[in-house]
Amino acid sequence: MTAKLETAMEQIEIATGVLVVGGGMTGVATALEVAQQGYPVTLIEAGDQVGPAAESRPRTGLPDVQRLNDMAARLAKTDSVEVLTAARLDAAAGVAGDFKVWLSTAEDVLERRVGAIVVAAEFDTTPLFDAYGLAPGESVIGQSEVERRLAEDPRAFADKTVAFVAGFAQNGNPLVMQRIFHSVKALQAGGAAGVYVYVGDLKVADDGLERQYRLGRDGGAIYFKLRQAPAIAVSEAGAVIGFHDPVVRQQIEVAADCLVVEEALGVGPECADLAAILRIDIGPQGFLQSDNIYRFPVATNREGIFVAGASREVRSLPWALADARNAALRVAEVLGDGTRLVPRDKAVVDIGKCTFCLTCYRCCPHGAIYWQAENKPVISPVACQGCGICASECPMDAIQIGGFSDEQIRSQIGAKLADVNGDPAIVAFCCQNSALVAGEMAAAFRMNLPAGLRTIQVPCAGKIDLQYILDAFVSGADGVLVMACHPGNCKSERGNTYAGWRVEDAQRLIAGAGLEPERLRFATLAANMGTDFQAIVIDMEQKIRDLGKSRLR
Amino acid sequence: MNSQTKKVMVIGGGIAGLTAAWELARAGVEVALVEKAAFLGGHGIQYACKATDECQQCGACGVEKMLANVIDEPRIRVYLAAEAAEVTGDGPFTVTLRASGSQPGAVDAACGQGYDKDPGACAAARGYSVHNAVFYKADGGFDPDRVAAPETVTADAVVVATGFTPFNPDEKPTYRYRELANVVTGLDLERTKRIYGEVRRPSDGAVPRKMAFIQCVGSRDERLGHLWCSQACCPYALRSALAARHKHPDLDITVFYMDIQNTTNSFDAFYEKCRQSLRFVRTIPVDMYETEDGGIRTRFMAEEDGLPVEEIFDLVVLSVGIMPGADNPVLAGTLGIELGTEGFFARPDLLNTSATARGGLFVAGTAGGPMTISGAMASAGQSAAAVLHYLGRA
Ligand SMILES: Cc1cc2nc3c(=O)[nH]c(=O)nc-3n(C[C@H](O)[C@H](O)[C@H](O)COP(=O)(O)OP(=O)(O)OC[C@H]3O[C@@H](n4cnc5c(N)ncnc54)[C@H](O)[C@@H]3O)c2cc1C
Ligand code: SF4
Ligand code: SF4
Ligand code: SF4
Ligand code: SF4
Repeated sequence: MTAKLETAMEQIEIATGVLVVGGGMTGVATALEVAQQGYPVTLIEAGDQVGPAAESRPRTGLPDVQRLNDMAARLAKTDSVEVLTAARLDAAAGVAGDFKVWLSTAEDVLERRVGAIVVAAEFDTTPLFDAYGLAPGESVIGQSEVERRLAEDPRAFADKTVAFVAGFAQNGNPLVMQRIFHSVKALQAGGAAGVYVYVGDLKVADDGLERQYRLGRDGGAIYFKLRQAPAIAVSEAGAVIGFHDPVVRQQIEVAADCLVVEEALGVGPECADLAAILRIDIGPQGFLQSDNIYRFPVATNREGIFVAGASREVRSLPWALADARNAALRVAEVLGDGTRLVPRDKAVVDIGKCTFCLTCYRCCPHGAIYWQAENKPVISPVACQGCGICASECPMDAIQIGGFSDEQIRSQIGAKLADVNGDPAIVAFCCQNSALVAGEMAAAFRMNLPAGLRTIQVPCAGKIDLQYILDAFVSGADGVLVMACHPGNCKSERGNTYAGWRVEDAQRLIAGAGLEPERLRFATLAANMGTDFQAIVIDMEQKIRDLGKSRLR
Repeated sequence: MNSQTKKVMVIGGGIAGLTAAWELARAGVEVALVEKAAFLGGHGIQYACKATDECQQCGACGVEKMLANVIDEPRIRVYLAAEAAEVTGDGPFTVTLRASGSQPGAVDAACGQGYDKDPGACAAARGYSVHNAVFYKADGGFDPDRVAAPETVTADAVVVATGFTPFNPDEKPTYRYRELANVVTGLDLERTKRIYGEVRRPSDGAVPRKMAFIQCVGSRDERLGHLWCSQACCPYALRSALAARHKHPDLDITVFYMDIQNTTNSFDAFYEKCRQSLRFVRTIPVDMYETEDGGIRTRFMAEEDGLPVEEIFDLVVLSVGIMPGADNPVLAGTLGIELGTEGFFARPDLLNTSATARGGLFVAGTAGGPMTISGAMASAGQSAAAVLHYLGRA
């Protein structure tokens, strides 16, 4: 066992420095956590301050601002953390364990070698005046402005009537609501004459928000939940907000001295550039994480690059700090003690066959392939996830995956079909992350499965070559199933898409050879659905019984 | 970090406990994972996939995945059907475990005749997952090689991940949950889909033609004193509704709600799809009556004019929420930690929501408050990091 391990594994050196991008609280917490684990950190911040001061809005309602400032101060005193303000990430190269990054500051361009990178951006606030057809002014202000005024003078709105509108210009999120609840509380404490909140959906799905909402109401705030934005008329004296109440059948109007307009909370403007520089996938709304459960909680498509806080979602500070700790955990896992045992054969390029076409570099969803000085593609055993997409896409068949070489997979096909007798012979190529598990579940639960079903494990559906499918038919399969994860659930993002394309190609080819294309089917399913697996394979068996035996068998 | 020789107990084997145990084990810590039920995976392992023509990121298959990680991890020692009876010491803690009384499923008896004979019993006996199967002997009972017997364990730190209790609709008697066959909870629906692969109504096993979801059942309820949003029930109800419509395009679905909570960053597009294929009514119906053919007749106020309307549904799903774990008061006493106002374990430090007031004791997942699977994973990762921090100092 040990001997075998020694030949198959190699020890490589890992750079233990870590780059943290962003000097808001998420970045500060990440840097502190990482440094605590004994890794040197470089933290860059575009502005000239780190900590709460680096953030675009006041941290309302948190009793812990002093502690946040303390954290920033502690960071400044930590020797193993290099803090660069007015600094940007200009470029990055390399892979997990061995990134090179170029940082520009006001004076200099610095080069650092790091093993891991954490993006800890803060979110941006955008007042939504336009969406309400309003212009900011004396009596119309944004959420940040009301917070600023209240922070300056708790009685800034004493004896005034203040109204909020939220949830009509955007779906919003709990943090949008939380800011309003805090302002409502502050207004009540500061002697406001009346507080009205017009809201679409009350987004209260975060700790304590429903209670805060009720407390505000108990304190006299009036909430109107509407399907559409109310009518707003702004004059010198203030704003009149009105809507028709269908239940009491009358127009309800409120004259407010000040109308507070909601703000969108989204990714900062730097995120798009960071994604391009770091070659990480952008998700919905521009966040630096695709909406894929394999990325829970702080992973990206690239090993060694993590996202925390508002880089990946807009949530309250406690969640951003939880992200910081998760990111630190992940970083430690990649860096270890600065060395790592990795399999030699995870994915290997045969340079003799390679024509340097760049296909593999472009299609690797995990950014695990880089070019060496001699212009050779090299696959990083740390960053590679072994999906095999590159191997199947390489026009020269120059890449082989450990445990899943073409020979290993193809030799199984005939062997597995050998003992199928009278029943319809079905070969199911199953992604090991989904269909394989679902199939094992169906078998373990003793669900009724076709007697002639033979499954073949692949690391990702993206590893299912056209050739394997054709082999299966040539070897006597009456039907072939290509079973992948549901779109959006592929660990390698696009493995299922590649598999779907190859099935379409193969259907054309087998039709050309006189086989019914229905004998080949592409299906997607999840690991926890043994019943779906059963339904798909039983349906296939029935289809084959209807069609009869393959004419190649 | 010199955590190599450290040992941590994780109490509760839902997604939060599994995640915490796995993260700790990967960092070199020995973990004792103590689960009261006879299977790992908690609530999440009983949920169905909610994909339409694409994954909807419900996270359920992530529980399956984490369970697979845990059973492959030699540093995690699994105690099933066990609970903490007594805790002494102050880091290290000495924890005396005892049998909880949960019984391992009799796999052969339940599945021996094939799954179709009694799918519900077979799935339950298997712990709902192929990965739990490793814990059971074919002829009944736990495999002693995989499941440790209750004993006294010394742990340098303890993570409480005992999860939540789904709201019991008996507390809202007008829904007549136990009386009417076709009034079910969201959890019943999840199990049905997991077991049969589709939505069925209990009275006759037929796929419904017209169904309703009632949101906020047990949550955001002043009368019950439940002043919290459960956070998971809008996501699960809407995803289940979309998935059911995808499978049965003629299915007519109404969602009765107060406010709709977000799912993921894709919420805008997701909600737009929901609005196109589901009917949303912003009111909560109260009284349920049964029609002769098992339908559920209910009355509610029309949004347009506030007038009462009556409608009949084949199936009514109560979107029950996340309530504090049933064992919380006793466990809090055993562990010497506090519960918060709502009855979840108190997390007094906003800047580290996995810490309790007592050093060496940490909280992960819904034991500390309502959250979704992805939230529970982030929370558990945070707890693992906080534990490592604590062990490094100790
Ligand atoms: C009907 C329903 C559907 C849902 N669907 C989704 C969804 O699709 N997506 C999503 O993200 N979230 C969903 N949720 C929320 C999801 O269930 C929770 O986020 C998740 O289960 C929390 O995991 P947990 O580990 O904290 O708790 P649990 O899953 O409750 O696990 C806790 C574990 O601890 C054990 N335990 C309890 N007490 C003790 C004790 N004293 N000693 C030892 N062990 C103990 C329990 O047996 C259990 O195994 C849903 C919730 C409900 C009610
Ligand atoms: S795809 Fe194949 S041929 Fe092209 S560069 Fe990569 S290894 Fe070489
Ligand atoms: S196997 Fe997958 S992750 Fe590895 S280099 Fe190829 S495409 Fe990239
Ligand atoms: S919908 Fe849920 S269970 Fe299905 S694939 Fe997506 S995350 Fe997994
Ligand atoms: S998630 Fe939705 S259904 Fe659940 S308590 Fe919150 S608002 Fe109500």
